[in-house]
Amino acid sequence: MHMADALLSPAVGTTMYIVSTAAIARSTSKIKLDVIERKIPLMAVTGSFIFAAQMINFTIPGTGSSGHIGGGMMLAAMLGGYPAMLTLSAVLLIQALFFADGGLFALGANLFNIAVIPCLIVYPLIYKPILKKGIDAKRLTIASILSAIVALQLGAFGVVIQTLFSGVTALPFAAFSLMMQPIHLAIGIVEGVVTALVLNFVYKTRPEILDDAIETKGTKPKFHLRKLLIGFGIASLLIAGGLSYFASVNPDGLEWSIQNVAGVSELFSNASIHAFFAKIQELTSFLPGYAPSNDPNGTGLAGIIGSLITFALAGGVGVLIYVVKKKKIKSTSA
Amino acid sequence: MVDVRSKIHEIYTLEQLSSGRSVIHDLHPSVKILATFFYIVLVLSFDRHTFFALTPFIFYPVLLMSLSDTPYAMILKRVALALPFSLFAGLSNVFFDQATMFTISGLNFSYGFVSLIVLLFRTFLCVAAVLILVAVTPFTQITAQMRRMHIPDLLVTLFEMTYRYLGSLAEETSVMIIAYKLRHNSDKGIELKDMGSFVGQLLLKSIDRAEHVYNAMKCRGYGRYDRKRRKRSLKFNDYLFLLLAIGFPLFFRFIDLNLLFQPWIMKVTLC
Repeated sequence: MHMADALLSPAVGTTMYIVSTAAIARSTSKIKLDVIERKIPLMAVTGSFIFAAQMINFTIPGTGSSGHIGGGMMLAAMLGGYPAMLTLSAVLLIQALFFADGGLFALGANLFNIAVIPCLIVYPLIYKPILKKGIDAKRLTIASILSAIVALQLGAFGVVIQTLFSGVTALPFAAFSLMMQPIHLAIGIVEGVVTALVLNFVYKTRPEILDDAIETKGTKPKFHLRKLLIGFGIASLLIAGGLSYFASVNPDGLEWSIQNVAGVSELFSNASIHAFFAKIQELTSFLPGYAPSNDPNGTGLAGIIGSLITFALAGGVGVLIYVVKKKKIKSTSA
Repeated sequence: MVDVRSKIHEIYTLEQLSSGRSVIHDLHPSVKILATFFYIVLVLSFDRHTFFALTPFIFYPVLLMSLSDTPYAMILKRVALALPFSLFAGLSNVFFDQATMFTISGLNFSYGFVSLIVLLFRTFLCVAAVLILVAVTPFTQITAQMRRMHIPDLLVTLFEMTYRYLGSLAEETSVMIIAYKLRHNSDKGIELKDMGSFVGQLLLKSIDRAEHVYNAMKCRGYGRYDRKRRKRSLKFNDYLFLLLAIGFPLFFRFIDLNLLFQPWIMKVTLC
């Protein structure tokens, strides 16, 4: 479910970063620092554990395919929602930086889909209420499976929405959802079962871990969420209103091509969902487009040749730097 | 199944590279982080069908790799691992977006095909930029910079400790996987019915060790940070790098060199 940078537009990526940053800020403010001090090793090692566990593939029965656990619900069950949010944030950051597993700019979106949803939404709304009357094997199993399924479904849906909003894929919403949701349902069921098995095992051997996590009450936050949301709303208006002033009125390549083929500069879709996304695109496109070529027949070939020249130049510069450095090293060592 | 130990040790390879010496290694970490983010945002700001105007952005990773002596093969290998997801995401464009964008010698190139190429190229550029950032910036500098940026100390501490625990956990996981395979006489993944106890045992073994390690670190002074003492001022090279790393991508973002040189290219090719 880790999204790459290339699947997001700057507007969507920035928005998700703001949302995830707010979630991290809220999680940090809700954690009692004196209580969490003794929990830090547990948080770090469970984070590493989730990281390692994600590398263990298991076969999904009946599908012939394999998957791996996400770990959000498992972490939340063992640490509590807010500590799990921070732990998963550290894990996702390591994956983005060192493994190219999820882009750095897409980190905000990945944090939302993989950490915020299970830890801050599903955990308090589904997992905790089921265990309200006490922890036992049956309730733990039901809570784990149900929470994992819902978290994975919502996370996968988040990927669909973010990719569609970014305008990167031509895949229709229905087709994209039909591809993503069922496979993540299968993964969610398996993750739920694995989470249930692990949590039951942990509860048998170290019950205080789960008891402690579910009883942890947060502190009164040092800032008010309402103020943060108001600030976010004002910032969004300023960005949208201010930067849209610089939007180009010239037709882009696609509009220009459509103009020449269909006689209109835009194709109008009857589907309301396309109109909705088109409006979003219109509001969030804040960098101007290009002056199109006046010769459509030559554009492609000239573009390819130009690109090859660019690549050759870049490669040549790289080789030149390498040669010069080698000579320098030889002359200093001689 | 993935070899857990070798996968984890890949990150320590990058850490070894980051301790090298070059003009790029010596730059202030904030400048490198800012340049990387700016570069990625500009790459992503292009329209999904714009390939030719995007090509000059190849200079950034090439120049950085050359100046910092970062091995091309290692970066390209890691970038290749990130491409399949973008490939699957972009393949749908080929089927759904079949209108012809341009024609060369009777061969039609559709908008969908071009957008697939753009998606792969953007993935390549963005992933390369991040990997190069990590290859030229030591881990301790990254975390120090995160603290200077007032990222919550708890989050940075978790980041540091998770990173360090990965190595020992990978060893433990690898040993347990080998033991499991030998006992089951099978090279397939862990069976679902065994996942619970496997993962549970792994977790509990690690928790106790982690507490001892953390307490030992605290006894040795871990956790006492002085932001003012660790502050690094920017030098001339940092400003110069920032100017170039922001200026040139901005230039290429607004000026399409392919369009500029198109008349000459067409003259040469049609002659």
